[in-house]
Amino acid sequence: MTAAQDFLRNAATKSADLVHRQILRRGIDHYDAAVSSGRARFLDWQAAREKCQSIKCEAVNHLDRYLEEFERRVKEHGGHVFWAENAEKARRYIVDLAANRGVRTIAKSKSMVAEEIHLAPALEKQGIRVFETDLGEFIVQLRNEPPYHIVTPAMHLTRKDIAALFKEKLGGIDTDDPQQLVAAARHALRRAFFTAEMGITGANFLVADSGMVCITTNEGNADLGVTLPKIHVVLSGIEKIIPRMEDLAVLLPVLATAGTGQPLTCYNTLVGGPRRTNELTGPDEFHVVLLDNGRTDLLADPEQRDVLHCIRCGACLNACPIYRNIGGHTYATTYQGPIGSVLTPHLRGLNEFQHLSQASSLCGACTEACPVKINLHHHLLHNRRNAVERAHRLWRERIAFQLWRWSMMSATRFGVLGSVGRRALRFLYAFGLEGTPLDPLRAWTKDRSAPPIPTGSFRALWKEHDGAN
Amino acid sequence: MAQIENPTRERILARIRNALKTPAPMHWTNQATHGMQPIFAPIPDALERFQRECAGNRTELIVTPNSSSEALETVLASLPPGEIFVQDAPELREKSSALHDRKDIRWSSEGAPHENSQATLTLAEVLVAQTGSVMVSAACGGRGAFIVAPVHIVLARARQLVPTLDDAFARIRERGTAAQNSYVCLITGSSRTADIEKILVMGAHGPRRLVVILELATK
Repeated sequence: MTAAQDFLRNAATKSADLVHRQILRRGIDHYDAAVSSGRARFLDWQAAREKCQSIKCEAVNHLDRYLEEFERRVKEHGGHVFWAENAEKARRYIVDLAANRGVRTIAKSKSMVAEEIHLAPALEKQGIRVFETDLGEFIVQLRNEPPYHIVTPAMHLTRKDIAALFKEKLGGIDTDDPQQLVAAARHALRRAFFTAEMGITGANFLVADSGMVCITTNEGNADLGVTLPKIHVVLSGIEKIIPRMEDLAVLLPVLATAGTGQPLTCYNTLVGGPRRTNELTGPDEFHVVLLDNGRTDLLADPEQRDVLHCIRCGACLNACPIYRNIGGHTYATTYQGPIGSVLTPHLRGLNEFQHLSQASSLCGACTEACPVKINLHHHLLHNRRNAVERAHRLWRERIAFQLWRWSMMSATRFGVLGSVGRRALRFLYAFGLEGTPLDPLRAWTKDRSAPPIPTGSFRALWKEHDGAN
Repeated sequence: MAQIENPTRERILARIRNALKTPAPMHWTNQATHGMQPIFAPIPDALERFQRECAGNRTELIVTPNSSSEALETVLASLPPGEIFVQDAPELREKSSALHDRKDIRWSSEGAPHENSQATLTLAEVLVAQTGSVMVSAACGGRGAFIVAPVHIVLARARQLVPTLDDAFARIRERGTAAQNSYVCLITGSSRTADIEKILVMGAHGPRRLVVILELATK
């Protein structure tokens, strides 16, 4: 079965799953309320979006210069920078590093790039234990599932689900009180933090002018992860660079507001290397892995270059009528929702993932929600166009569109085919075949009733009423 | 591991430079109709704003007109017995009258906090009125010192309070805080999570309580 067939089947199941719908709706309603009051804290939210857009635009369009500046400063402070062309090279660097240092336990913070390159399974294959320390990630890791959402990985679970999971996997706990569930996770992960030899984090921003990595969490798990283990590894896409530390004064409030509606995330941490000689605590080693993995291809496409402005806030997922109906797992991609539908064909191939460009109503809610003003719904159209030009299409779709084109090129052909079509449909429906496999409009009519088929064409009506209604 | 020469570095940089030969469409940069507008509302009274924001993000703020010793004693009295990890700074050594009754003080010069430490007491680099935040660095008792114990107490003075985030980043640049420390953290409220049914739970991995004692008098 192809990715597209899987997607269609799962989308149909999930959108008809009433429990799933209810959980998803509650989560997103909560988010919507928080974000609307969060935006009201800005004097001018649109000005904030434009400021962030211009910061990211400056960074992405001078990517080489800022990456080199960042690298130079990290090295000045005793850190290492590894440039990885693809997932395999990034994985190998981190796995080799862990093996060379005799690492047995890793405390990992949330990182979408780690999901993208399937880092945790590669480490576990070498017998290294990887603890996801973000609570949501910890929960989906225990369930052996990918994250459901970029920002809220366990959004699809109720506290009853989580209670049952903890009872089975952690033991010694039997409650669905969120306070106690969080305490149980904290307790389980404390031991991991204090035994881990390596901490792995992602990066929300790489600050070029100070050579620091900015990591944002509400729980404080990244702060433990960059403090206690002896080795800190940062895994980041090359596009996370920003020019100046002062840019954070607007990027951080905008990221928090778009992500959860908070004025600011609780812990915005800047790390610039291993501990200095005058510092008593902190890791002895600091490694930054800069990942390309298809990003330079996006950079080479000026039309879609602004996709690299993305700060992974998840706002477009929450805004999307498709995501709101089918949920995160249906996409079967690392990045879900509109940003995932735009990005995935670039990262994993247009041929296999072209169907995601159709998972859109083109309503533009994603573009409207995007805090860095990425033209998301137009990029979905660009991907559709690219798919028609370059990717493999179904033969019956090609024929249908050729027929459509042929009929549209002549008023007579259009009129005749319209008339034949209306008669044929009326004939079929008169025999009660509406919504059956014989119905050419089945995609619509299998779940809905068809509107009444008109007897005459639009042109006939126009003529009859002399253009007036 | 010695710094290995990385041939992929040159390849990635070449790909970037090649890609950027075609400029991005101008409309991205030219459409800034709001560009000149201020983004955040002005802050006429920094202290009032700081108090309001702290209330909003659940920071316990205690403003004292003169000495903070009394407030510190009250906060310490509310803690269960156990180690208190204290930043080894002259200002805090002076406070030892308030810390006098407690035998279980561990100064940051003695090493990292223990796993079962009950509270952390540190100074701050900057306080930010706009967001009710406290900025600390590795100099405040060591990297991530505050994150281990369930309570973080910060002693600060009014002159450390700046109105905006912009001012805060400007100040740590001017003073070289970001250059001299391997670690800086902008703390806004205490540790929390809403990963279970979007229900807010305080004290996920870090402190459950953040207490800021702000001394108004300038010596």
